[in-house]
Amino acid sequence: MSKIAATAVLVTLLTATSAVWAAEQLVLIVSADSKVEQLDSLEVRKLFLGLTVTHNGDRLRPVLDEADARVKEIFLQNVVSMSDTTYDRSVLRLALIQGQIKPVAYKDIAQLLKAVIADPTAVSYAWAKDVARDPRIKILRVLWYD
Amino acid sequence: MPHFSLREISLCIALSLPWANSAFAQHEHSSSDFEVFVAAEAFHGTRQTHREDADPWVNADVVFGLTKHQFRVFGEYYITPNERDLERFQMGFEFVPETVLWLGRFHQPASAWNTEHHHGQYLQTDITRPYIERWEDEHGIIPQHITGALFESRQSMGKDGAIQLSGGVGAAPALADREMDAIDLIGSNPGRHRLSVTGRLAYLPQYVGASSTGLLFGHDDLSVSSARTLASLHSNAAKISLYGAYIDWIAEPWRIVAVNYYVDVALAQTTRNESFMSGYLQVERQLPRQFTVFGRLETSARMQESRYVASFDDADGDIEIALRRQALGVRWDYTRRQALTLEISHIVSLTQTSNELRAQWSAAIP
Repeated sequence: MSKIAATAVLVTLLTATSAVWAAEQLVLIVSADSKVEQLDSLEVRKLFLGLTVTHNGDRLRPVLDEADARVKEIFLQNVVSMSDTTYDRSVLRLALIQGQIKPVAYKDIAQLLKAVIADPTAVSYAWAKDVARDPRIKILRVLWYD
Repeated sequence: MPHFSLREISLCIALSLPWANSAFAQHEHSSSDFEVFVAAEAFHGTRQTHREDADPWVNADVVFGLTKHQFRVFGEYYITPNERDLERFQMGFEFVPETVLWLGRFHQPASAWNTEHHHGQYLQTDITRPYIERWEDEHGIIPQHITGALFESRQSMGKDGAIQLSGGVGAAPALADREMDAIDLIGSNPGRHRLSVTGRLAYLPQYVGASSTGLLFGHDDLSVSSARTLASLHSNAAKISLYGAYIDWIAEPWRIVAVNYYVDVALAQTTRNESFMSGYLQVERQLPRQFTVFGRLETSARMQESRYVASFDDADGDIEIALRRQALGVRWDYTRRQALTLEISHIVSLTQTSNELRAQWSAAIP
């Protein structure tokens, strides 16, 4: 009886832990219609710094997720490896030097997902829990987890 | 009081259209962008120094870009109370990522400073630019605005690094009275404009980084369009050859910029060429609370002996030709995209020695 109880507690704990795990994953996303299957870390960094990244001849379009302060913090630390000020100046610098287009930013996750779904060249990132069950979104890989 | 011509207004409207409707841009898979860098400056100088063309009390630098498939359009429009100039207007085709052929008016790639900062004050830590890097309408002695073709390429090298190659060919400015006249895309163009060939080869330790070091080359054939300059130079043309090396290294919290140019001037009616050297070293250090301190040393050799350099000197003895300068300052980025800067300089010019104090507010909008 105690073994059954212990197993039940363990299963409950594991289930709870996996739910937290899924909530604490930041994933790289594109539209389900996108031809992009994978992007390496350097390509992702180039893309979000405003440099040109193409896939099958299509220029990819970076979309920033600013819906959540923690997502922004993780993006700055783990994707572009810069402080907020340095990242902002880097993007402004490229705009001044050669007219590179700054990434579009969304402060509302629903609007962001709508923009990604509508554009097969858009690349963004979001919490796994926000996109995992959406068939219109393709997850390329995990950018960060806790 | 300056007047806006119909051509300028039409151009601004045409250039505004792409970002006027973002829905249109997204539907067509094109992207556009628009930034305005603004600055306001207060100035105090000793001796006969006073505010120059290089120090308008307020200025705005409007930068716009449009990308559609592999095509790019880019421009920079600079506005002060006394000046409105389409400084750059480039139409480009990106053959492969980060390899672009541009046509239009561009900043020549052999300037280490101007290709980094252009006309936007906010992204420049200090207030003043080194004398050798001045624009043509600020009595600058090196041609900066060329109209023609510019090739730019950045290619990976090694694990993280890159090689950057830029080459420009086009029409050089003409040598007018005490300043150069670059080709104006929306105004009149007096004088003859001859060939300019400029280039840069640079190594970037990180493909996506801002640090670089490299070699610079420029050759400009300048036609003299002013009787006073003709009399001063005893020549109807000047061929400027520039060879330079630079390093712009960022290792936070430090940044070091060091540049040296060797300039050879061949005048048509003289058998002996002139030559001079000019260089500068700028060191910046970030401090806590968004403060940055900076210092710059500028020096030159044989500039005071050059008839070509003297032909740019202003008759009223203003500080126009700086042979040496020491500048020291502090910048405070007190909020997002806004900064306050204070800079003091000691200047030795062709005619006098003086001190200057500047205070500036700069910002980027939006």
